Amino acid sequence: PGVNFSASNASTEVLCLLNMVTEEELRDDEEFEDIMEDVREECGKYGLVKSLEIPRPIQGVDVPGVGKIFVEFTSISECQKAQQALTGRKFANRVVVTSYYDPDRYHRREF
Amino acid sequence: NTTQTKKKRKNRFADETERVFLPNMPTNISSNMTEQQQKIYILQVQIEELTRRLKMNDLGIPANVEARSPSPEPIYDQQGKRQNTREVRARRKIEEQRHQLVTELLVLNPDYKAPSDYKPQQAKYID
Repeated sequence: PGVNFSASNASTEVLCLLNMVTEEELRDDEEFEDIMEDVREECGKYGLVKSLEIPRPIQGVDVPGVGKIFVEFTSISECQKAQQALTGRKFANRVVVTSYYDPDRYHRREF
Repeated sequence: NTTQTKKKRKNRFADETERVFLPNMPTNISSNMTEQQQKIYILQVQIEELTRRLKMNDLGIPANVEARSPSPEPIYDQQGKRQNTREVRARRKIEEQRHQLVTELLVLNPDYKAPSDYKPQQAKYID
């Protein structure tokens, strides 16, 4: 509360999903695959998933974007549909927070 | 069809009808936030969600008895009333989680106002 962070949020075709995964879960290969599958499956209901990026932690390296999930759709409208369907939903008992992401930064892998 | 149920594992996404709404905390956020602002906001969301669960008595106790963990030895007070019921233990767990998050958030933002029902835990937790 206090600052209105919901302002100036232009939609793009890349959706950033926050508060869904922990570093510990990402380190586990099997769990990581399951998470990828869960996100791909659910996002596929709202549009065509062009690409999906889930940064994984690497021992001794400061990997940017760990804990975030990025989903690229083929259109902004599909991304909007997914955003509306996923925001506030529960994922592994955590509340999903969404944010649109700059496609250029996404493609440069600036997570 | 055991093979089928085994293959079709449960998606971590809960049903669309189980949407969480946190007052004054939109779950769609601006892309202009800095890393630090985002971190602070996520911590607040996590704290508010635990506050909501405590208020709504949404303690995450599985309805299916077999899915529950074994209970510890009962502890009774002087009136013979059980102290460590499943509900009490579940609440304590959530309160501890929330305490951790509040502590973490206060480091990032010393001006943060904790939820009104939050009591700082001075006593060390004894297992």
